[in-house]
Amino acid sequence: MTTYTLPKDKLPEFLSALSDYEIWAPVKKGPATLFDRLDDLKDVDLDLENQPVISKKAIFPQNEPLFSYDRKGTVTETDLNAVKNTIVFGIRPCDARSFTLLDPVFEGDVPDPYYRARRSKTALLGIACNDPFVNCFCTSIGGSPFGREGLDLLFIDCGDLFTLEVITETGKEITGKASSLLSPATAESSEQIAQAATDKIKRHIDLTGLPEKLASLFEHPVWKEFASKCIGCGICTYSCPTCYCFDMQDETTLKQGRRVRIWDSCMFPEYTLHASGHNPRATRTERFRNRIYHKFKFNMDNFHSYSCVGCGRCISLCPVNIDLIDYLSRVKETE
Amino acid sequence: MDIQKLRDEAKRALGRKEIEYLIGYKKGSYGFRISPCFIETKEEVDQLTFSPLCSLSLVNYLTIEGKPLLPADEKKSKAKKVALLVRGCDSRALNQIIAEGGISPDQLYVIGIPCSGVIDLKKIEARFPHTPDPVDVVEENGNYIITINDQSHTVPVDELKAETCKTCQYPTPLTCKKLIGDKRAGNPPQYEDIQILEAQPPEEKWQFWQNQFSRCIRCYACRNSCPLCYCDGCILEKLKPQWVKRSVDTNENFMFHITRAFHLAGRCISCGECERVCPVDIPLMKLNRKMEKDVKELFDFEAGLDPEVKPLLNTFAIEDPEDFIL
Ligand code: SF4
Ligand code: SF4
Ligand code: SF4
Ligand code: SF4
Repeated sequence: MTTYTLPKDKLPEFLSALSDYEIWAPVKKGPATLFDRLDDLKDVDLDLENQPVISKKAIFPQNEPLFSYDRKGTVTETDLNAVKNTIVFGIRPCDARSFTLLDPVFEGDVPDPYYRARRSKTALLGIACNDPFVNCFCTSIGGSPFGREGLDLLFIDCGDLFTLEVITETGKEITGKASSLLSPATAESSEQIAQAATDKIKRHIDLTGLPEKLASLFEHPVWKEFASKCIGCGICTYSCPTCYCFDMQDETTLKQGRRVRIWDSCMFPEYTLHASGHNPRATRTERFRNRIYHKFKFNMDNFHSYSCVGCGRCISLCPVNIDLIDYLSRVKETE
Repeated sequence: MDIQKLRDEAKRALGRKEIEYLIGYKKGSYGFRISPCFIETKEEVDQLTFSPLCSLSLVNYLTIEGKPLLPADEKKSKAKKVALLVRGCDSRALNQIIAEGGISPDQLYVIGIPCSGVIDLKKIEARFPHTPDPVDVVEENGNYIITINDQSHTVPVDELKAETCKTCQYPTPLTCKKLIGDKRAGNPPQYEDIQILEAQPPEEKWQFWQNQFSRCIRCYACRNSCPLCYCDGCILEKLKPQWVKRSVDTNENFMFHITRAFHLAGRCISCGECERVCPVDIPLMKLNRKMEKDVKELFDFEAGLDPEVKPLLNTFAIEDPEDFIL
């Protein structure tokens, strides 16, 4: 594997060498750190103390207009050729890995052109987690703080400089554009820092046998108990890098309209509301159960992986302490 | 506050045959988090806790899913009650909901806790970021004593206390069956930050709120953790007509937040939980406190002080000011 070093103060120059690309990165917006398209390279804020939300929107935007129409009957499809080559910089390994879990969903039997357009033109430049966050449990679910899966380039914070690991051809191309800023790294490997980071992860769960266990618990009263403190907001699903549910809406004004695809959340009653007024997931119990089953059983049945990368965001952001790790452990103990 | 007193009172309450269960707080699953809990038997009472970490309002659980309190065997349990722990702001929320006819006071057994203010979890978690093990926090002489893995840290209350609690006027529950501990005096109201906003020219205000609302992801954590947002069939869920589009952009987000602020005018009791739970840190309290200030100045009204007083927006007096109507 090719590795380079980049002095940290050269990061702005590195990013400006990539000006052919649209760049997304963590940005400070008020007190929050969010992923956003960069208008000004100075806005990048790697802020390693805060876990940024939400990187999936770079490839799976919260609103995706599919086509627009007017009263004359003109229909204009969204021009996917207009999607620019994009770089997502500063993404965490778990978030990068999440796209490999979204791929089979969007690119399965009926490939989704909108997802494909962005996915195929987006390079993921990750930052390894020297200091995992409090609820990170990526190592329990197939990832790691130095995980390379899904990434094109991995940045490792080594004090005054970054070490850059080139993982894919795209990564190689990108380093090529900024080669004057990079020096070849000495043979020293990152394994030690990676091990130290992994050791810092405090939250673990053994998921062996979970899908089989869930298969036998669908009607168990435990779901009602679990859901009893849920207040039914969508913070867990919207902040989750692997949640992908969406709604289709026609949004019209007097003269024109558009069909748009918008993130939805299985935690909202409207999600399953039928036109008849009937709602098959009428209460929080069914909705909460569905979230767990989708992630840890149905996704396994359909795509042979969990729909979770262990980023811990749903745990950290939940206003009422619904703790996925805790709940999954209790599922395992439930008879 | 003496936890034992709280537990004793909870035991007494659960001993009464009309009380179905008690809604309280227990230790959470990690770090600084507290979890709501539903206690049915005296044996479970020892999990109950109360500390400055108890930030969320339990009042939410009385109205969730638009259901009255006792969804199980509703008919059979007509005479049943739910016991509930409330802080000062919760008690105002309850008063307000009762005044609105949202809950019947006959269904409640309210245990009040004079509150010294809660900690803003975002602040404490930023201060002690890698803390998975459960933590103890007590307030003593203007400091929080925070015990993490047997090691104690002293932090001045001002650095961690939730902003709304710093100016809380009513820390002692106003209406309750039992009060655990001594009454606490409130602080005088303070609106300096709001006055600064008010003084800005309209373009600046517009720019400020555009910047804020542009990042809202419409997760509705603010709405769902608000004790006063209990409408069955919230305007945000209406399909015919669809008042607020599902598209998440600055315009629609404005529509959402302005509507919500109007719907909370004269109702919001300034607990601050909506702002504390927001994943993108939108300063919702600036909006809510502006409404609170206006309602106070224009109508001499404060929400939730008395369950017998009609809600502001349900009343009309001939002398009501109207010079703000365009
Ligand atoms: S379910 Fe929770 S922990 Fe898993 S990927 Fe989603 S937000 Fe992260
Ligand atoms: S779960 Fe945490 S440690 Fe693991 S990759 Fe994600 S942010 Fe890094
Ligand atoms: S909690 Fe914040 S992001 Fe979520 S809907 Fe409310 S204001 Fe928007
Ligand atoms: S709007 Fe916010 S401050 Fe007001 S009652 Fe609701 S949660 Fe509390």
